[in-house]
Amino acid sequence: MSEDNDNLFAAQIYEADSYDAVQERFYTSRWTDGLPIIPPTPDIVRKFLAEALVPPDHLVGVEPVRERAIIAEQLAINAVMAGCVARHFPVVVAAFTAMLQDKFVLHGATSSTGGCAILIVINGPAVQFLGIDATFNVLGSTDRATTCIGRAIRLSLQNILEVRPGEADRSTLGHPGKISFCMGEDEGDTSWLSLAQDRGIPSDTSAITVFAAGSPRQIMNEWTTNPEEILDTYVSEIKASMLNYSIHAGDWAIVVPPQLRAHFERAGWEKRQIREYVKKNAWVMRKDWASCGKTAVIANQGERKYFALKSIDDLLVIAAGGPAGGFGAVIPPWFGKTSRAITMAIGACVDCEI
Amino acid sequence: MSIKFLDPTYKRSITDFTYAPRLESFKDSVVAIISNGKRGTISFFDCLETELKERHQVAEVVRIIKSNYSTPVDSLLLNDAERWNAMISGIGD
Repeated sequence: MSEDNDNLFAAQIYEADSYDAVQERFYTSRWTDGLPIIPPTPDIVRKFLAEALVPPDHLVGVEPVRERAIIAEQLAINAVMAGCVARHFPVVVAAFTAMLQDKFVLHGATSSTGGCAILIVINGPAVQFLGIDATFNVLGSTDRATTCIGRAIRLSLQNILEVRPGEADRSTLGHPGKISFCMGEDEGDTSWLSLAQDRGIPSDTSAITVFAAGSPRQIMNEWTTNPEEILDTYVSEIKASMLNYSIHAGDWAIVVPPQLRAHFERAGWEKRQIREYVKKNAWVMRKDWASCGKTAVIANQGERKYFALKSIDDLLVIAAGGPAGGFGAVIPPWFGKTSRAITMAIGACVDCEI
Repeated sequence: MSIKFLDPTYKRSITDFTYAPRLESFKDSVVAIISNGKRGTISFFDCLETELKERHQVAEVVRIIKSNYSTPVDSLLLNDAERWNAMISGIGD
């Protein structure tokens, strides 16, 4: 590609005389997470933008607190750095577009001392097209697409919104998902509707859901086939998190791998019944705080009841995980409903005139 | 070998910002305090309000509390802003 096109970019162009020099420049400038990066050369960045059919100055959205207009070029540069390939980039654009919706409260979610990370769940044809593996080790690293897309989101936050530790990121602890927190849903191995379908997206449309999420909390129950008993284990973990972290209702996610999923499906349980059961049973009393050292904040409201979910639609049920093991995971929200999960089709244009 | 690469960071022109006029004195002024809404701000801003009135002769302190500590202040709460001589935005946890 001709160098004449380099001036299409708003970003400044630098030069270094070796690959090592590039790595050191990025690391010492706090432009990386500590891992090596792929140098975002103009040629590669251009290919990413072409894949998403957007010009460099395409406005992805505006972060209202910092008053930052986020343009596609910035995301493409960071996606290249993260190790993405061009076909991953439309997912990065969709995820950031969703994160910039008002209800997501991006600034709060990324700067809070509460230390959440942004979970991205991918649904639809993109799961197969991008080679996403939603089975073994699904909450760890499984495949190039999810690892790199999740990292692209984090690097973009660091470099476009200064969400670096000690700068805009004020997390007391954070959690490992802040390196990369992205997964697909195992749609091929279940009769359930996908997460995106549950949230209004047609099955033939690729979509992402973004969720400001605490660290996953694993559960295990291999000693029953009864759906209610299995869910009681999930509910117990939700209650513990409500008491130990935030008591307020919000969106919650649960991950259901095949071994547990088989019991639900055999009993004819769809995701809706799971959501109804959790809505009804996941609650705590304010006085329960006495069991975990928070007596001081019970005050005279001990009999007040707190539900984890305001609505059954607030539970994100995700089919994913390896085939063996009666494990599951509960993924708590960042401080109740301060931020809401957003689902959006990949390639959707939020403000386009039709 | 030379490698060209793009700057991954956000660059904002310093000309995007202009400072509000500085006050010579707080005397007889109206000062607004905008809290992020966290409980820890209450006692801190109570003290600040007292200091502003007693030590700096501020005529009126307007207390604004955001409805969500993670979002910009609601525009309705700023309707009165033209009347203010100064505004203090503070956070607390």
